[in-house]
Amino acid sequence: MMLPYLIVVPLLGAFAMPIIGLLGEKAREAWAVVVTAVTLGVAVEVFNTVWRGGILLYTLGGKGPLGNGVSFPVRIVWEVDLVSALFALMVTFVAFVAVLYSTEYMRHDTGLEKYYTLVILLEVGMLGIAITGDLFNFYVFLEIMSIASYALVAFRNDTWEGIEAGIKYMFVGSLASSFVLLGIVLLYGEYGTLTMAYIAKMVAENPTFTAKVALGFLIGGLLFKSGAVPVHMWLADAHPAAPSSISAMLSGLVIKIGGTYALARLAFSVFSLGINVRTMGWVIVLFACATLIAGNAMAVVQTDMKRLFAFSSVGQIGYILLGTGIGLAAYGSDVGNLALAGAIYHTVNHAIIKALLFLVAGAVIHQIGTRNLNELSGIAKRMPVTSFAFLVGAAAIIGLPPMNGFASKWLIYESSALFNPLVAVIAVIGTAFSFAAYIRVLFTFFGRPSERVLTAREPGKAMLVPMLLLVVAIIIMGLFPWYIGDRIMVPAAKTLENTGAYILALTGGA
Amino acid sequence: MSSERGMSLIVKTTARATIPLIGIFGAYVVSHGHLTPGGGFQGGATIAGAGILFLIAFGFGEMEKRYSHGLYSALEGLGGLAFLGAAMLGLGVAFFYNTLWHNGPLFNGRPGTLLSAGYLPIMNLAVGLKVFTGLVSAMVAIAAYRRWGE
Repeated sequence: MMLPYLIVVPLLGAFAMPIIGLLGEKAREAWAVVVTAVTLGVAVEVFNTVWRGGILLYTLGGKGPLGNGVSFPVRIVWEVDLVSALFALMVTFVAFVAVLYSTEYMRHDTGLEKYYTLVILLEVGMLGIAITGDLFNFYVFLEIMSIASYALVAFRNDTWEGIEAGIKYMFVGSLASSFVLLGIVLLYGEYGTLTMAYIAKMVAENPTFTAKVALGFLIGGLLFKSGAVPVHMWLADAHPAAPSSISAMLSGLVIKIGGTYALARLAFSVFSLGINVRTMGWVIVLFACATLIAGNAMAVVQTDMKRLFAFSSVGQIGYILLGTGIGLAAYGSDVGNLALAGAIYHTVNHAIIKALLFLVAGAVIHQIGTRNLNELSGIAKRMPVTSFAFLVGAAAIIGLPPMNGFASKWLIYESSALFNPLVAVIAVIGTAFSFAAYIRVLFTFFGRPSERVLTAREPGKAMLVPMLLLVVAIIIMGLFPWYIGDRIMVPAAKTLENTGAYILALTGGA
Repeated sequence: MSSERGMSLIVKTTARATIPLIGIFGAYVVSHGHLTPGGGFQGGATIAGAGILFLIAFGFGEMEKRYSHGLYSALEGLGGLAFLGAAMLGLGVAFFYNTLWHNGPLFNGRPGTLLSAGYLPIMNLAVGLKVFTGLVSAMVAIAAYRRWGE
């Protein structure tokens, strides 16, 4: 059973970092890379186990989740189904790539011992959210993730924007976390248990008004964390202000694990049996449509490269929410299943693509020192590899066929067209905006070299290799889209929809 | 600057008398975490209170001489590692399985005595160490941060 090592290894890495840090700079970089690489290995093993064997239940502190002589769970459980395992794999992969990239990218900064500790803690928080089956445990990991990301956004505390974005993110994020906590408190007061699968059973038997209020608080808090539209303003400041390796993790992972994944997990695994899924689904679809349009449209008018990518992340979160929302509103039908599979697929794809795009932005800033698109024309002549990586990322995020973004967006378009043509039109308009935004950047990259760019050079190997790793992942995933879709994403969507099996794994299996 | 040199003679003398008492009381709360109210966090915060009293009464200049950043940060890491180590002792059964309590050899005395409760005393000590070093480091870092303008 490798599952506990998914938390143990990065925690060991984070706690040992201040001691390893005494050995010097090289030692701490090597330690961070080794720790994230080992975690990636553990995640591959866990994914393999779950893919072959179904839901994995792990009880902390005992042999089984049930108490002595009682029939309800008393211990914290980790419940890993295919979606959790897939997202854990995605988190460890992107975190490994980002840490590898930081070894060169962050070399000019001070306080790197804290930087690596925080990055690894961020990874711990996200992995914990992915695997946990306990509501309060979920909250604790959500806070580990959030607090690590507040500190990392404001890591360059000698820049005014780092501090400003950090304060904004911290205030908004703490408020959102307290909404989540309030929702959990209400559920605990009503049902007297914190285990997700057991609450699902209780909600199904006795859906009270309090449960609906709690759901409202939880959805509100988690929409904050995912950067859905009325509450996306922190994101557009936080992602550009963070160091680029961190933007890659924030944009690729944090808003998805702490936002959309947690939302889908709570909606499907906890509330879907007791509460009207159609209403819940339509609420999410409405937010998704607003997010799609506003995020992508705002991306078109940006002149700051990282801000453009940040707004594009908001837009892409719209697609993921749309898939989740249709999955709820058309619960149990083929359309719903397809939409949910598309949302899960797009989560993984967008994590890889957006990580690549932010790493490219980081390379440009690191080599040229500006991220204003008006000053950056003609980079392709001086930095061909970086520009190629950007080309692949841009093609993938718009959804051109040989890249991985195509299949996942296709699933979402197809299911939304079958669900409601108006929603499909909104999704296509969103992509049109996104296309316009990235074509603009592309023309900048491939234009005539400006003065600033003339002396630029490619970054070193430690920055190019992570980018190329992501490019390879995008192309390989793009070559076998339907194989991956049928073998992993559709079964993952099915396990997420099957709340009965989630409950049974807790009460029956153990 | 007065913040460098600390407070008046009366405050310093009182602090000399109370700092050991606060420290001992905090250590008591930490070590009896499994028997009485309190525990690692509460005791650790109490001991950190003694550190902060030292910082305020004697001033930052005196604190600077006695505080070592490397040592405190290493001890904080050590506290975390000890907690994780205690949690991993029973990994043969499950993460956080209290194997010391179930089959010894240490900390499996009669419930209510000091050497009972399995890994709990170890974890309390670890958390206490982590909280104490973390809070003191945070306060020293804030005190050292920057001066107001001239």
